Amino acid sequence: MFRYLIRRLLLIIPTLFGITIVCFFITRMLPGGPVEEAIQKMLSGSKGMMSRSVESKEVERLKKIYGFDKPVVAQYFYWVSRVIAGDFGDSFRTHRPVLSEIAERFPISLTFGLTGFFLAYLICIPLGIAKALKHNTLFDSISSIIVYIGYSIPGFALGILLLVLFGGGSFWNIFPLGGIVSDNFEYLPFYKKVLDYIHHMILPVLCYTIGGFALLTTLMKNSLMEELGKDYIKTALAKGLSYKKVVVHHALQNAFIPILTGLGSFFGVFFAGSILIEKVFNIPGMGLLAYNAIIQRNYPVVLGLIVIQSLLNLVGRLVSDFSLALADPRISFD
Amino acid sequence: MFKSSPETTRRIKRFFKIKRAIVSLFILIILYVISFFSELIANDKPILIQYNGKLYFFAAYNLYPDKTFGGNYDTETQYRELSKTDRFTSTKGNFILFPPIPYSPYTSNLNELTKNPPTPPDGRHLLGTDDRGRDVFARLLYGFRVSMSFAIILLIIEIIIGVIIGALQGYSGGFFDLTAQRFIEILSALPFLYIIILTGNIFGQGFNTLIIVMSIFNWIGLSYYIRAEFLRIKKFQFVDAAKLLGTGDIKILFSEILPNALVPIITFAPFSLIAAIQTLSALDYLGFGLPAPTPSWGELMRQGMEHLSSFWLSVYPFIALFLTLLLLAFVGEGLREAMDPKEYARME
Repeated sequence: MFRYLIRRLLLIIPTLFGITIVCFFITRMLPGGPVEEAIQKMLSGSKGMMSRSVESKEVERLKKIYGFDKPVVAQYFYWVSRVIAGDFGDSFRTHRPVLSEIAERFPISLTFGLTGFFLAYLICIPLGIAKALKHNTLFDSISSIIVYIGYSIPGFALGILLLVLFGGGSFWNIFPLGGIVSDNFEYLPFYKKVLDYIHHMILPVLCYTIGGFALLTTLMKNSLMEELGKDYIKTALAKGLSYKKVVVHHALQNAFIPILTGLGSFFGVFFAGSILIEKVFNIPGMGLLAYNAIIQRNYPVVLGLIVIQSLLNLVGRLVSDFSLALADPRISFD
Repeated sequence: MFKSSPETTRRIKRFFKIKRAIVSLFILIILYVISFFSELIANDKPILIQYNGKLYFFAAYNLYPDKTFGGNYDTETQYRELSKTDRFTSTKGNFILFPPIPYSPYTSNLNELTKNPPTPPDGRHLLGTDDRGRDVFARLLYGFRVSMSFAIILLIIEIIIGVIIGALQGYSGGFFDLTAQRFIEILSALPFLYIIILTGNIFGQGFNTLIIVMSIFNWIGLSYYIRAEFLRIKKFQFVDAAKLLGTGDIKILFSEILPNALVPIITFAPFSLIAAIQTLSALDYLGFGLPAPTPSWGELMRQGMEHLSSFWLSVYPFIALFLTLLLLAFVGEGLREAMDPKEYARME
């Protein structure tokens, strides 16, 4: 186990290396590397009073400072060392460090994403188990249709529909149009604050949940069915154990393994939020930050988000593989 | 293309037994074929014109200058105005036959609308008009063709890249496999949507740019399956036999193993189409998809968000998107079942 973990951690290094190379080349492609960033800052400081010639001289000087006069490889290592130190530069917009911008948004995305994530697992695991145990019954077929419907509705589209229906446009006015709290949030008593927050969370969380709903339910069902068909279950039954005991103590334990691995693939979205859902509901999380940053060509922020999101995806994959290896002693990754 | 083995025949038979999948596939194919004649279904150019005893067919495909009908200009005839002119109505027997939906997805019908667009559904515009006064039904219809074509082109490229890389990985193993795996890991860790949006922002949006950028990421899922399949199959004896007979590697890859690896490709296809249509509509919604004025469901939903009280801008494209994806999901599930029927033991 320990060796496997070490192996996987070591394999992360070349991948990380690759990811930073890709990101580095994106910085080269973008109109707005650190030099332009600095110029922008100066321009905004001097209210655009700098003349062209001064500007080009300044560019030369900055290029030296930022190492742009050096060979590409040296530039890359310089960039990487800055990123490792957590320095993604400053936002063009707010002139604050990118990392603190992101850190501010992170908890918001996390709350919404994680709630959706838990809700998905909370609904899908029992539903999947019930479907497996009642395979080919009316309950199974009806819930299958619901699963299909869930699968065919993209989260963001559901969000739009829900807002049109319940946001007070032309139908019902039940839920707020987005944001995370009401305008008068500060003046509310504590319990009302909680209620207000929940009120704002219901629709977006629903959209997050639907994203994993069909996949998780089907996975749970198929996985349990597969286990139930195996010989050891037959043996256990033949030895006189009750069906309930066999399912709970034997089949389910093994059937959970694929569900565990599924955890990692949702990691990225649930931790960093979805651009789409945050845009629809105007949730000021990392997704909306990314959207606005791209629109405003605020590249330091975009780049910081790409690096962080890639890291999250990578960690997610590691977590799911590792939990799989932990749960299933047969798996050896050699 | 390939000799059909008894197993293949069995699979096809099994698929045809799954009613829901067959009906869905049938509906999708018919709709897609029909969508290629959208110009004759929803258009402001007539299907048939009779003018002074002569017949003119399919104005959507043939450009008839204004002069043809006694006008003064070499430019294309404005048919709706033509039908009201004296020179046209004065001769008996002249008529213009417009398509069932006499609106194109591109023309703003501002001068015909009584209210400011977006106007709600009425007798003229069955599903209303959008914020530029364009007919929503026409835009939905053309949007279906755009979405499906986009997804199918992407699927084809995806299959080509995914099969080649997955096959080489599985068949050759070793260093190539390891390198490719690292490469795939890097690609799949990158936040796909961010990168697409960003490249669109830098290089400009367009059908081809979008296809290329999405192709860079899309083949990964398929290559996993193909790789696994090739790893499995290359151990079979018929491959060894072919090797002994002196068949070249490339030939073995594509004539011996590939037909056997078709199963993952076929089961993968509908789900890939679903993903592509979802992504396209999401990008269009965000405003980073196909350039205006391409008819698109995502773009309509974007308008729907801006005009929340105009439900027809969001509800109808939602239904179109949902139904298309649902039909594809039915096909996909049926294919999966037909390809790999799992006989589950059930005990009570």
